[in-house]
Amino acid sequence: MANFFIILFGELQRMKRYNIVTASTVVALLWIGVLYLTEIPDITFIFPLLIYIDVTSMAILMVGVTIFYEKQEGSLHTMLVTPISKQDYLLSKSTVTVLSSVITLVILYLYAMIFKEIDLNFAGLLGAVILVALFHSLVGFLLTYSSRDFTALLINMMKYMFVLMLPVLLEYIRIIDHQLVENILYIAPTKAAMILLYASTGDAELWEIIYGLSYLVIGSAVLFVLALRKFEQFAVRESGV
Amino acid sequence: MFQVNNLTYRYPRNPENTLKGVSFDIKQGEIFGLLGPSGVGKSTTQKIMVKLLTAYQGEIYYRNKELREFDREYYQEIGVGFEVPVHFSKLTAEENINFFKKLYRNQAHTDAMMQRLGIYEDRKKKVDEFSKGMKVRLNFVRAVLNRPAVLFLDEPTIGLDPANARIIKTMIKEFRKYGGTVLLSTHLMNDVDELCDRVAFMADGQIAEIDTPKNLKIKHGEKKLEVEYAEGETTKNASFDLETLSRNENFFNLVRTRQVISMHSQETTLDDIFIKITGVEKHG
Repeated sequence: MANFFIILFGELQRMKRYNIVTASTVVALLWIGVLYLTEIPDITFIFPLLIYIDVTSMAILMVGVTIFYEKQEGSLHTMLVTPISKQDYLLSKSTVTVLSSVITLVILYLYAMIFKEIDLNFAGLLGAVILVALFHSLVGFLLTYSSRDFTALLINMMKYMFVLMLPVLLEYIRIIDHQLVENILYIAPTKAAMILLYASTGDAELWEIIYGLSYLVIGSAVLFVLALRKFEQFAVRESGV
Repeated sequence: MFQVNNLTYRYPRNPENTLKGVSFDIKQGEIFGLLGPSGVGKSTTQKIMVKLLTAYQGEIYYRNKELREFDREYYQEIGVGFEVPVHFSKLTAEENINFFKKLYRNQAHTDAMMQRLGIYEDRKKKVDEFSKGMKVRLNFVRAVLNRPAVLFLDEPTIGLDPANARIIKTMIKEFRKYGGTVLLSTHLMNDVDELCDRVAFMADGQIAEIDTPKNLKIKHGEKKLEVEYAEGETTKNASFDLETLSRNENFFNLVRTRQVISMHSQETTLDDIFIKITGVEKHG
């Protein structure tokens, strides 16, 4: 566990030095721009939508960026021959990703509180963001492991967005308005994510919240185990084999 | 320290084994050279010994315990020096070293090492501002910062000027002097000659020959003495068998009556032995 905190602080230090924090802040400012340009005073409905787009995409991207940086400059080689366990390695990256999502949430929420009208359960939203970011950081690991380079990761991420993220988004803004499609979307983790994010506005049935929580908690556990297994193969591949 | 028995390894997508029954041992306090051209399996052997590859057949004993039985604690005892840069380029040298140091129970005096290697003054610089040689020196500090019992070094002096290469070689010798064990992989045969107590030449996934550099040179060299001498306006050469030299009247006669220009025993070099054993010349 001691090593976990050392790696975690190392990750945080590198996030700052590699300007990942800056990039994340710029994205948050872009979202503020979107909120600013929204003429609707009460942004309770669109706020979870922005958080949904930010958390799901940024979590995948951030994990990929940090791993490909390590790969590119060779530091991954030396990380693999330290006493760091693969569990600590994965968890530290996931934790930093979750933290980044939480910071974005806080920035956006403060803006919304000061300059707009918003009425949602912040604690509930915070919990949802943590879970959704954790789940998608683990998705990020798996997509990164199966991508040869950063471009391949971006392509894989686009596929994930088009197949799983976009349909759920379109459903919530009522562009997709068909019961069968809505039912099919329950198999997507992004639907579970959206339900939990919207639960903070009071717009979710209890069974839906239980479904969303169960999906993402169990899903995260399964993805974590998969990511650990795939890490072995990735480590062998990146050791120059 | 290490006992490697009949080590066999096949990469998942390869049709044939990369390692085909490799056996050798490394004694404590020894610098052991693992040599051979690219693709013969020395990197694979090293990767198995540093537990990067685990699905091997055969046995590797480290301190009489099978390597498979060690967990991540194994890395507390070993240091790995890479040929390629391995540091976080946007962090300073000092930040890199401090980050890695914290992961280990044993911690070396890295400031002193950096001073000795001439990079202490630049410790506050980001690694991406370092020259290639500085990165190589920083790699060495990284490898030994946990005061390991065993060092795995891959081309530790490549890209260094002679003065800094000398410092690294001296530090490796000092490491051995205090009981450290080294597995050295390099193509620089001068380094091998100077550092290694024993060397193993690998060819086609097997150990082709294993011995001390001295014995290898005796075994593969010609026991002859080549004498170059002046005769009138021209220079001539004569060759004498070393074993019968003390009784060879022709040799003594030549030395007494001619002006000797040079005299060389025909001891072979490790470069020649490398080419001869590994067959790299045939393939190259």
